Amino acid sequence: MQHVHDGDARAFEVIFDRHGGAAFSLAYRMCGRRAMAEDVVQEAFLSLWRSGARYDRARGGVRSWVLSVVHNRAVDAFRREVVRDSRDVRDDSIAERMPASDRTDAEVERRQEAQQVRSVLDELPPDQRQVIELAYFGGFSHSQIAEMLKLPAGTVKGRMRLGLTKMRLALGDPSGLAL
Amino acid sequence: MSERDAMSETRDCGGDAAAYALGALEPAEAEAFRAHLGRCIVCRDELAAFQQVVDVLPMTAPQYSPSRRLRRRVLRTVRDEPRSAAAPARRQARRGGLSWGSFPRPAMALAVLLVLVVVGVGGAVLSSTGAGHTRVIQASVVGTAGSAQLRLRDGQAKLIVNHLPLPPAGHIYEVWLKRADAAPAPTSALFSVTSAGAADVDVPGNLSGVSQVLVTPEPAGGSRVPTHAPVIVAQLA
Repeated sequence: MQHVHDGDARAFEVIFDRHGGAAFSLAYRMCGRRAMAEDVVQEAFLSLWRSGARYDRARGGVRSWVLSVVHNRAVDAFRREVVRDSRDVRDDSIAERMPASDRTDAEVERRQEAQQVRSVLDELPPDQRQVIELAYFGGFSHSQIAEMLKLPAGTVKGRMRLGLTKMRLALGDPSGLAL
Repeated sequence: MSERDAMSETRDCGGDAAAYALGALEPAEAEAFRAHLGRCIVCRDELAAFQQVVDVLPMTAPQYSPSRRLRRRVLRTVRDEPRSAAAPARRQARRGGLSWGSFPRPAMALAVLLVLVVVGVGGAVLSSTGAGHTRVIQASVVGTAGSAQLRLRDGQAKLIVNHLPLPPAGHIYEVWLKRADAAPAPTSALFSVTSAGAADVDVPGNLSGVSQVLVTPEPAGGSRVPTHAPVIVAQLA
């Protein structure tokens, strides 16, 4: 990362190759459209490059940091849209599949841990999982979610808290996962 | 006021931490929660725990490889836009001139308020030692119980913060340099804080003519123009 900070484009290329897949996967999950997801990823990585890729190690690894930028850019893209429906954010249908390949032991381990996190999320009560997914992957605020689901705002926040608490207990210390 | 009262005030501690970690609070609520974090270790701890869970949520998305076209687009733009950490002036020039017109309107209104706050509060030179000529400026911290100092020595500046709340989920603190009659110029200084709210940040760039050093929470990766009101203001002149 220091090389990227120093303006080394080749080092940045390594960063993109290591984390571009996860970045695109998150963006696609959120946007539901390939072109929009690619724009979000491009915008995110370019903002990282232009900012000098300076990040705080205390907040987690490089991937966690990259994904937070992608998430934020996707939410920004949502807010630029004039109309955005409360689409089913669990829509897995895509026109073209580009599955990531298992190339290394680290990637195999990452896939296994991803399955673990996915299982923990899937095992949440549906009402808790729904509000977490609408907030994180949909970019909706708690008040927007409350309006969509015809619930009091406090109920939405409460479900978010219960859901994340259950996930925290089930995952132990998530910071140890090979994100 | 008891310690418990001081910690929690009238807020249901932890009630907003999950929504905040998910980025689901309204902007005004998020600002209020950030201010609360500066006073409440219960919420800071709960937020830290929830943030760890939120950070692994991307793993639940189906994983795909980016297209070769996307890779080419990103890397071509990077190659066409060389950047050197040793040439911050060139980086700023490449972004084009900044003007008050480039502020988003809400930030403009907040910036006007900021001016009034700065005039009223200002900054104080705490000390100026002899050998080495270290100048210490107490910065104003807005909206929290945190503190910040700007230490200037031999043309270098360091910002030292304590008890500053974590930036909003998906955000990071960014340092800006403001000169008279110019909009704040971005720097490459992006930082977060420890669980104790502490950070030591080297302020890059030439401080000649700089009247204020500002800190705002920005989307992770930084911004070209401030999107939030400053939380730290160090008055140099």
